[in-house]
Amino acid sequence: MMETEYGPGRTIPHPVMFRVLDSEADDLTIPEIKVEHKSEFAYYPGCVDYYDVEMQFSHMNYGDTNHGIIFDSSVKLLRAVGIQPMILDRSFMKCCGHDQLWQGKVDVFERMREYNTKIIKMLGVKTFITSCAEGYRTFKLDYKLEGVRVVHITQFLYERGLRIPPQPDTAKKIRVAFQDPCRSGRQMPIDPVYEEPRELVKRVDNAELVELKTFRADAQCCGVAQMMYCNDKTKGLTAKRMDEATDVEADYLLVACPKCLTHFGCLHHENKWKPGEERYGFKVMDITQFLAERLPGESPTGGNIDQKRKEPPLPGRRG
Amino acid sequence: MEIEHVKGKIMEGMPGFPRQYGPVRSDHQPGIPFFPQETARDFVLIFLLVAILFFLSAVVTPFLGPARSPQISELIVPDWYLLFSWGLLKVADIFPQFIIGDGTPLKTNFNAAFWGDILSGIPVIFLLILPFIDRGREARPAKAPVRSAFGIAFLLAWTFTASLYSIREVVAQRWQTPNGSPLINDTAMKWFFIIPPVLVGLTSYLGLRRLGYQPMRRWLVPYVAGLTAIVEVQAAAIFLIPGWLGPEVHPYVIELGVFLLVLLAPMLISSVAVFALPESRARKWVVRSGLVAFLGFAALVAYFTYSGPQSRLAFGWVLSVLEPNMNTLLLMPIFAVLTAYLGVRRPYSTYEYLLNECYQCGKCHTVCPVTKVEDDALGGLNLVYNTFKKQHDGVPLWTCLACDACSAVCPLDIQYSDYILEERSKVHARMAADGGSRE
Repeated sequence: MMETEYGPGRTIPHPVMFRVLDSEADDLTIPEIKVEHKSEFAYYPGCVDYYDVEMQFSHMNYGDTNHGIIFDSSVKLLRAVGIQPMILDRSFMKCCGHDQLWQGKVDVFERMREYNTKIIKMLGVKTFITSCAEGYRTFKLDYKLEGVRVVHITQFLYERGLRIPPQPDTAKKIRVAFQDPCRSGRQMPIDPVYEEPRELVKRVDNAELVELKTFRADAQCCGVAQMMYCNDKTKGLTAKRMDEATDVEADYLLVACPKCLTHFGCLHHENKWKPGEERYGFKVMDITQFLAERLPGESPTGGNIDQKRKEPPLPGRRG
Repeated sequence: MEIEHVKGKIMEGMPGFPRQYGPVRSDHQPGIPFFPQETARDFVLIFLLVAILFFLSAVVTPFLGPARSPQISELIVPDWYLLFSWGLLKVADIFPQFIIGDGTPLKTNFNAAFWGDILSGIPVIFLLILPFIDRGREARPAKAPVRSAFGIAFLLAWTFTASLYSIREVVAQRWQTPNGSPLINDTAMKWFFIIPPVLVGLTSYLGLRRLGYQPMRRWLVPYVAGLTAIVEVQAAAIFLIPGWLGPEVHPYVIELGVFLLVLLAPMLISSVAVFALPESRARKWVVRSGLVAFLGFAALVAYFTYSGPQSRLAFGWVLSVLEPNMNTLLLMPIFAVLTAYLGVRRPYSTYEYLLNECYQCGKCHTVCPVTKVEDDALGGLNLVYNTFKKQHDGVPLWTCLACDACSAVCPLDIQYSDYILEERSKVHARMAADGGSRE
């Protein structure tokens, strides 16, 4: 077990980051919100910016984990199905409170819920689209949003009939595996998201969908939930899951939850540490990024990376 | 639609699929039907037993002693377990008695004996038709509160109060007012068939729903307030309507007032607490008012019984007012406070009640991903399982990923992750109470 200054095996969440979130929740005053595109469709990217900062802050990898790309891709996809969504970012929204709830801080969660519910009601949102599986579960089950339909972005794209144009003939055949998030799958008694992402992947004509060893309601966890721990045991779980993807010879491992991306991405980067020891020959990316890259137009980049950084920072806390 | 096609392949839409759990779970789950499979087997057994009984009664005739008669003993009662039937026969004369079809072979005499037989038969008839009325699958009282409350009320009405009524002569003889008339008169005892069972039924329903952790305030407030209003009206009528109190009771009006105050005050406190206070404080106030009522009544009884013949006489006259109105004046305060307590009390443990369904099949343990990587968790990471084996040392609580793989395979649909949520929030609440935090 890894020894750190915060006790054994405790490297994420960085305590400072969580203190920041918790203290954020205390402030319930609603800021003045200027809406640029008034729409009944609202897109909530979740805490993607926070994850990027957290990953760099905790030095969990080279700092090139890119969650911002989920946001860019989602907006691109939503525009492709003819929606100009109202974007509920964290400049005035708070976290959905999922992590706080599952860490047992119910009071913090309740404050966040109260605040977010107020804003969602105030903006007159009818359809609440989120690209985060935890957000989907939390807004759908743990919030009480009457009159607001909460959908995962894959559900929304599926029912709006997202068309992926034919790929060029030169594009090589790829094998794509999908990791079912626990929150939007087996934890949802209503509307679990199983089929929609798979159907969307099948619309990419050079992609072949392969199932991992466990899938749908039996899908194994990515290893860490609600940012509780990161230690060699959770790494072991993540590695097991990624080995499953290696076993089915996948070229892409798609996820529908930013947390899965964090943990898979983390292990993926860790294994690039020594060039000879690369274990995983596949790419890990969010399903929105995978789809958006196959649409015409600019590929999403995500604005969160320090572009000047060429060399990876040193591993460990002092890096 | 492609998606419908895919759903069809994984058995969605088949009976019992997809597995439902949580609040959307419907009662009907596939199993062996009662009719005709179970019924056929039951009828075979019934006919066999009846045949044996007929055989025995025909061949081995039992010896019956001489019948009892009023010449031998004044009070005729059957064995204790048949008292209820005797009581029902006695109460049956309140029904209209007539004869239909006189002079024909179908002549039926609707006399007290006939009505009494019908009353005794009603529970059996009810038991026979119960499976057809109630198609629910739940057997636990807290999950089937209507059925259970009805059963408890029925049992009380048809056994306890009927048994009591069968010895009405003994009751009338044993407890008397100072001038020799019975304390609990026949009318009051007849009302025992209606009012206490209704009170018991409603109270059980409320308490059982609460055991299932439902908020019961919407039921509780009208119920407790209604009972309080009835008792208030009754008490006011005793004092205000001239001629209600006999001339013998007039000198003891103050003692009567004190008794009524001891009965009324806890009811009032409880109903105000249930109506106005938040639940945790309401709970405390209800318990306090119940204690006050109990101690106050005990103190009054002790004082009047042991402080001389004069006060014992006063006690007798006070009881002569209270006892004939026992259904309202004595039972309703007890049930109001008791119901208020049951309705706001904290069930012994939120999730223990749901965890009680676990029968330790260990499927959750097998699928738990953490046990696959953590050597020291191999012996028992699973919290539900461990709680049952009394090996819950608190470690798995924070090692759990809450990935819900266990709930997905649980045959009883125990929501493991809800339990984790509950326990984790308890830990944080405890730390907040200690004034510290975990880090």
